[in-house]
Amino acid sequence: MNAAIQQLNNAFSLIAPEAVLLAAVCLIFFAAPFLVNERGEAPAGLRHRWGSLSLLALLIAGCVWWQSPPVTRTLGPFVLDELTWYIRGLTLTFGAILVLLHWNQADDARSGESYACLLAILAGVNLIAASNDLVGLFVALELVSMPTYLFLLLPRRDAPAQEATLKYFLLSIFSSAIVLFGMSYLYGATGTTNLSGIHAAFSAAHIHPANPDLAAVKPFLADANPLVAVATVMLIAGLGFRLTAVPFHFYAPDVFQGAPTSAAAMLSFVPKIAGFVALLRLIVPATGAEQAISAWTMTPAATPLLWWLAVATMFVGNLMALMQTDIRRLLAYSSVSHAGYMMVGLIVGMEHEIQKAGSNPVVHSVSGIGAMLFYLAVYGAMTLGAFAVLIAAARSDKRIETFDDLSGLSRTRPALALLLAIFLFSLAGLPPTAGFLGKLNLFFAAWAQGDGSSFLHCLSELPPTAGLFSKLNAIFEAWGRGEDSSKWLAVILAINAALGAWYYLKIIGVMFLREPINRSQQDTVSDTPSLIAAGLCLVGTLGLFFLPGWLWVPIQSIMP
Amino acid sequence: MTNWLNENVIWLIPAAPLLACLWIVLVGQVIGRKYAHRPLVLGLAVSFAASLYLLAIALPHALEDSHHAVIAPIYQWINVGTINVPVTLRADAMSALMLTMVTSVSLLVAIFASSYMKGDPGYPRFFAAMSLFVFSMCMLVLASNFLLLFVFWEAVGLCSYLLIGFWFHKPSAAAAAKKAFVVNRIGDFGLILGIFLIWQTFGTLEFSTLFESPKMINGILAAQPEIFHWICILLFIGAVGKSAQFPLQVWLPDAMEGPTPVSALIHAATMVTAGVYLVARCTPFFVHAPYVQMTVAGIGAATALIAAITALTQYDLKRVLAYSTVSQLGYMFMSLGAAGAGEGLALHAVTFAMFHMFTHAFFKAVLFLSAGSVMHAMGDVIDMRRFSGLRKALPITHYTFLAGALALAGVPLLSGFWSKDEILAVLAAASRGGEHAGFYATILGIALLTSLMTAFYTFRAYFMTFWGEEKFPEEAGHHPHDAPPAMAGPLAILAVAALGIGLLTGPTHLYGHYLHHTPGLPEGYDFPMDWLMMGISSILAIAGIGAAYLLYVVSPGIVQNLQRRLSLAYQASQNGLYIDWFGYKFIAAPLRGFASICEFFDRWVIDTLVDCVGFIPALFGSMIRPVQNGMVQNYAAVMTLGLVVCLITVLRALAGTH
Repeated sequence: MNAAIQQLNNAFSLIAPEAVLLAAVCLIFFAAPFLVNERGEAPAGLRHRWGSLSLLALLIAGCVWWQSPPVTRTLGPFVLDELTWYIRGLTLTFGAILVLLHWNQADDARSGESYACLLAILAGVNLIAASNDLVGLFVALELVSMPTYLFLLLPRRDAPAQEATLKYFLLSIFSSAIVLFGMSYLYGATGTTNLSGIHAAFSAAHIHPANPDLAAVKPFLADANPLVAVATVMLIAGLGFRLTAVPFHFYAPDVFQGAPTSAAAMLSFVPKIAGFVALLRLIVPATGAEQAISAWTMTPAATPLLWWLAVATMFVGNLMALMQTDIRRLLAYSSVSHAGYMMVGLIVGMEHEIQKAGSNPVVHSVSGIGAMLFYLAVYGAMTLGAFAVLIAAARSDKRIETFDDLSGLSRTRPALALLLAIFLFSLAGLPPTAGFLGKLNLFFAAWAQGDGSSFLHCLSELPPTAGLFSKLNAIFEAWGRGEDSSKWLAVILAINAALGAWYYLKIIGVMFLREPINRSQQDTVSDTPSLIAAGLCLVGTLGLFFLPGWLWVPIQSIMP
Repeated sequence: MTNWLNENVIWLIPAAPLLACLWIVLVGQVIGRKYAHRPLVLGLAVSFAASLYLLAIALPHALEDSHHAVIAPIYQWINVGTINVPVTLRADAMSALMLTMVTSVSLLVAIFASSYMKGDPGYPRFFAAMSLFVFSMCMLVLASNFLLLFVFWEAVGLCSYLLIGFWFHKPSAAAAAKKAFVVNRIGDFGLILGIFLIWQTFGTLEFSTLFESPKMINGILAAQPEIFHWICILLFIGAVGKSAQFPLQVWLPDAMEGPTPVSALIHAATMVTAGVYLVARCTPFFVHAPYVQMTVAGIGAATALIAAITALTQYDLKRVLAYSTVSQLGYMFMSLGAAGAGEGLALHAVTFAMFHMFTHAFFKAVLFLSAGSVMHAMGDVIDMRRFSGLRKALPITHYTFLAGALALAGVPLLSGFWSKDEILAVLAAASRGGEHAGFYATILGIALLTSLMTAFYTFRAYFMTFWGEEKFPEEAGHHPHDAPPAMAGPLAILAVAALGIGLLTGPTHLYGHYLHHTPGLPEGYDFPMDWLMMGISSILAIAGIGAAYLLYVVSPGIVQNLQRRLSLAYQASQNGLYIDWFGYKFIAAPLRGFASICEFFDRWVIDTLVDCVGFIPALFGSMIRPVQNGMVQNYAAVMTLGLVVCLITVLRALAGTH
């Protein structure tokens, strides 16, 4: 009995920050109905109090997070390693920014519940990062999804919000079902729900006395349980919904357009952390684990699939964004394309890990997974910053919807226009912003991956008389043989970064070159909390350019 | 405390103006616009004190511990695997001397500007840009590697652009700013190529590894000796752009469109000397490239001569000074180039170039600021034909200008005399022996001729402005007022420095011995005073002044006569030997023609192509759009379809491996 309590205590200490957040959630859900009268009215300014309470909860959770450094891995349902620690820091920081964004979005009567939903979502993301068990992982994923439905609807209950919520709800439960399906197959293949156990099972099956090398992976895959392959595809597809990976992204533009701006901001960022960290948890054994990543046969089947998904995600996101005139739909597609960039990091990171375990380990400069985790933080700062400016620039009667609402913003509200321009520059990946460094890291990671012999051979070692066409031909032949897939990812990433710059700069052009349309100085409302949020994002966007080491050091401890 | 200061004084130097800049930009725009100069003056005072401390205590302390330089790592900018870009400040003897010069002159100019710029609507903007400039300049000098140097090299150029175009509503100012920026960019291109080549050759950009290890240089020298010529010529192209040397000198006279304190600080005392600094810093490379050294000397001589000829006939007081700056920078490059005559001469060549830069900063600053004071009194009129005889109306300005002019002309015992004489001496030494004696003799001849012209045009400007009958332009009002205290103070200090700092640090070898501590400078033999050159240059200076007195005070009629007789030569000089014109006709115009062809090509060929490419997303979108129709059941169907396709692909791939 005592041992059980002891174990429970230990497990609890691993998820203390989430406990704080969930306690705040319970408190708000319990208290909020009593502060609203039977006609559904609340005392004016109640939202400020709920907002402050949420910030306080995040602050306490942050203190607890800071006091609980990573510990060595346990076999229990929860894990607190460097990845958990990093993701927690990310969620809590950006959670505070989201609270600030949401400050004036919900009316007083509903604000309590909507803040509680936001905190629950953040706790869910942290639990995903901390879970070491398929069941825990799934529950945590649902802890993100379910409050999201409420969070989309609560602030504004008009028809567009209802439509957006319903779409998100239906497609989200669909994707959850797919994830659950995949998990059940994984359980069937390995006989355990514990992630450490699963990794151990694979590694035990994998280490074959005859072929200890990388070469062993493919033959093993051949006689491997096809259950694993199905599970892999299902998990990637289901989590792809959270990442807005093509073709699971369709909800994004519609939901972003209909939902309140703060909810759109949340959707553009938080589910991506959830999806990526869940994938990492499934694929990568926690740090310090003995078995290498290649131990899991999921990976060889997963990388080509992810490769194609990433390419499609980048291209569809950017090409569709080019045609948007609605600023939120544009940002939705932009978030799709950024998911593609981060998937590049994930893929090359996985390939790198496989090679590291192989016979001739390649040690190169940038780890793909590290680059992805770095980009995640950078992306959060810049995209939330852009949404913060949209909230702050809204007029009392009309929020920012189309390009026309932004035209001439540099005349009417120059500071906001400048802020938005900086965030857009960062999204486009131009220096001196963190977006530049983030893309540079991803590009380097992808470019350095693999020996690149055939690609460089095609470029340089063919005789100069060979001509451009035959060089290109040689490159494509090499590609057909599946060589240098990472280098191709780097090239595609660069092309897409250029495509992206097109529509981001278009917005800047609209703000700075066009005349204001029906905009008068008087009807601008000053939304201080979102301005503060924009300022914080600005600090992140510029600060991570000048002091990237500040984030890079903890990241490097995740993927040694 | 002392220890702390020794280690940290180095970052105080750039940090103080940076903080001033941030304060002015963030707060000063709104609160206390009238007092926007205060943070800058305070920041520069701190930097100046810190530079002096570095010069006098911190660096000698480090040298005692047999370190070559004070080094302060600020932070790791990027440290990802093999890619490592640290931001480190490094001050050796050369940087310390340069910093002292930069911060002292900027401090005085800032005080001057606080009064000069009074009432300008862009008052805070001016001081913000100026503090950013001083920050960039300090960082340029403190950079510990070529990458950081290049970043701030560009930043300095940017500040120069902002300050030349400070009155951007004036079309001429906007054009001048653009011209300066574009011409500088040509030089910067050479510099960045040079940096790439260094990276390619040495695999590092750190000064400490590059310059302090002769072993590495010797290794490279044995393997590929010609590489140093390429590196040095590319670096020199960078210096040519920044230091306004032939044929890129065209931007500097136009840069006088900026406010006068800017001309004094940036386009006379500090920024333009960055090129000299770069070449001096890279001496360990240049000594292995004697032909590049000769090119340096040749370009320097050509620039000095052309600029001096042009300055002879200018009527715009600031332009006279601008051409004289170009000419004096030419002197410095002549001196640097003299290093090519022999290994033993290199140390002295570099020392004298740096010393001339040091004294020049003070006397040119005082000249420019006095010109600014004249402008201030004359209601922004600067054409010397429209005023004269100002010595009674503007006594302070008169004396400070005179001090600067005497120093520039090279009158014995004043600053310019010592430094210019040393340059002549090193050129004379170079022409005495070695295989290129004839070449250096020519250079020496040009230097002497230029020295005569310098004395002449400086005093031409002085006599035209301050002597003759008293005449004011109508813009000045009836009673022009002399410099107010905030302007007079810096003028007086700079005038004293212009007169005395050469005597204080030159013949006593204070400057030379200190600079000798710079790591990487080659050893040199003893260099005696060259009495012959001293005599000749004194005579030339006096002769030039006398000629100016004769022509512009005693009998001005001669000038009219000469103008008529030699109208062709006069016109040529007036128009700067038509170099600008030539540039426009033979470089800019063909380029413009090429540009219009490109534009045509761009508009009709590329644009059509791009439109076609732009059609692809639309096409693509029209294919996808039916799916993206807002129907949730469609979305679910496509998701399912996607899932099925993924499943089939993966399972087929699995089956294929059987």
